[in-house]
Amino acid sequence: MEAIVVEDVYFSYDGVPALRGVSLTVRSGEVLAIMGENGAGKTTLIKHFNGLLKPEKGRVLVFGIDTREASVAQLARRVGVVFQNPDHQLFAESVEEEVLFAMKNMGLPLDVARERCEQVLKLMGLEKHRHRSPYSLSVGERKRLAIAAVLGYGPDIVVLDEPTAGQDFLNKCKIGGVIAALKAEGRGIVIVTHDVEFAAQVADRVALMAGGRIVRVGPAHEVLTDEEAIREVRLLSPQVPCTACMLRERGITLTNTPLLPGELYLELVRLLRRQAMR
Amino acid sequence: MSRVLDVFRFKRRDSTIHALDPRSKFVLLVALSAASLILADPVTLLALLALEAAILRAARCLGDWLASLRGLLLMLAVIFALNYLTLPSHKLFTSLAMTMRFLDLATAFSIFFLTTTPDELATALEASGLPRDYTLMFTMSLRFVPTLARDLQTVADALKSRGLELEKGGLRKRLRNYVYLLVPLIIYELRRSLMVAEALEARGFGAVRKVEPYYELKLGGRDYAVIMFSCALITFLAYLSLSGHYGALLNEMLAHWP
Repeated sequence: MEAIVVEDVYFSYDGVPALRGVSLTVRSGEVLAIMGENGAGKTTLIKHFNGLLKPEKGRVLVFGIDTREASVAQLARRVGVVFQNPDHQLFAESVEEEVLFAMKNMGLPLDVARERCEQVLKLMGLEKHRHRSPYSLSVGERKRLAIAAVLGYGPDIVVLDEPTAGQDFLNKCKIGGVIAALKAEGRGIVIVTHDVEFAAQVADRVALMAGGRIVRVGPAHEVLTDEEAIREVRLLSPQVPCTACMLRERGITLTNTPLLPGELYLELVRLLRRQAMR
Repeated sequence: MSRVLDVFRFKRRDSTIHALDPRSKFVLLVALSAASLILADPVTLLALLALEAAILRAARCLGDWLASLRGLLLMLAVIFALNYLTLPSHKLFTSLAMTMRFLDLATAFSIFFLTTTPDELATALEASGLPRDYTLMFTMSLRFVPTLARDLQTVADALKSRGLELEKGGLRKRLRNYVYLLVPLIIYELRRSLMVAEALEARGFGAVRKVEPYYELKLGGRDYAVIMFSCALITFLAYLSLSGHYGALLNEMLAHWP
């Protein structure tokens, strides 16, 4: 189901163009990764998803509602945006209150809110810190708290700006797990990231942005193995397609270009078997 | 908010005013401010504004000033309305004069800050004997104003994204909303200031007690002309005011005012 439809959107900051004719669809039940160079317009684009920014030209439809005709608070019920820097988002006296804040704004009854708060704190591994001040947490924990604060009220679409920045491997896996769980619940997830490995792991589709435009959008496997497109947006290909490329340069061509380590493993096994049979 | 501050933000232009020594521009600022405080009628204050506009034109900043003036409009309207509603007599005359006085003062400061970089200002302050710790504090506080405005916007966006309606509700609710806005902002800026302090020390700030400036300030012919003009303006206006001539002029104006 098409949850967010962006149609030929233009936007500029004081005359400096940030988006130039962006069209994109976000579907429920899928993970879409928006990637691209710094200043490509990724954050500007996601600010259009909950009406924080309104398009100068074109339109954005959130579950059929034109964002120009709805308040941010109305749209925030359906689209939860977690910003990059957790320090800009936390203010409550305790971790628990931080999570309850949005639910109170959305008018959820207290018992339901407490139950959900419990769930998301467990999900993000923060249940031990419920009574601590958000500012006493580590950077990684603050980042996860900012995510928990939005997950709490259960928006249909969750937008995460650089969710893996400042996270160690284990916590990155945890965030990947949360994204998978949200997807299984039928929610749509949008991640803005520079982390190509993370995108390769979790994304169903990838949109590449450069200079305020979408230069490529398609299935993750197709886009992330397209070295030329990845280089165009000043990113580095994930390690597995890079390895496949190095093998190709040495005359070893794999049947399919792999994206994940498991796929590379299968391709190599297939290749070795073929050679053994010869 | 940021638009109001735009009137005082340095704009790089190739002009004679920009090239002046910051000290002579400071004297000009003092003279223009003193003039706006001495004068108390809308006509001469308008003439002063015309002089300031001419200086801004020479500095190639007239357009910037006019554009950012929109941000000041609300404040001007409030000053006018408050004066108009509270004054017992000569309502229009005095309200207009007070509004013009504020505009003249703001423009005088605008001339200075639009054409002087914070670094030039710091050099001038250091040259006048102020310790470097204080001049740095001053220039950095100016430098971080746009950053603060951007942070404020980001915090407001994050709050709105979690369903908080900042502009809705009664006075109490709105005040409470501003607490939500201020807590992350203050903590974030405190953290930032600690980081900046560490970065300053890591780059050797305070290693030497007295730092030799890289650029020596030098007063030229144009600077002396500006300083002489500023002194003449103040002396002339002070004479008019103290001798009672200006008081007589003011009374005559009030007699003819509709």
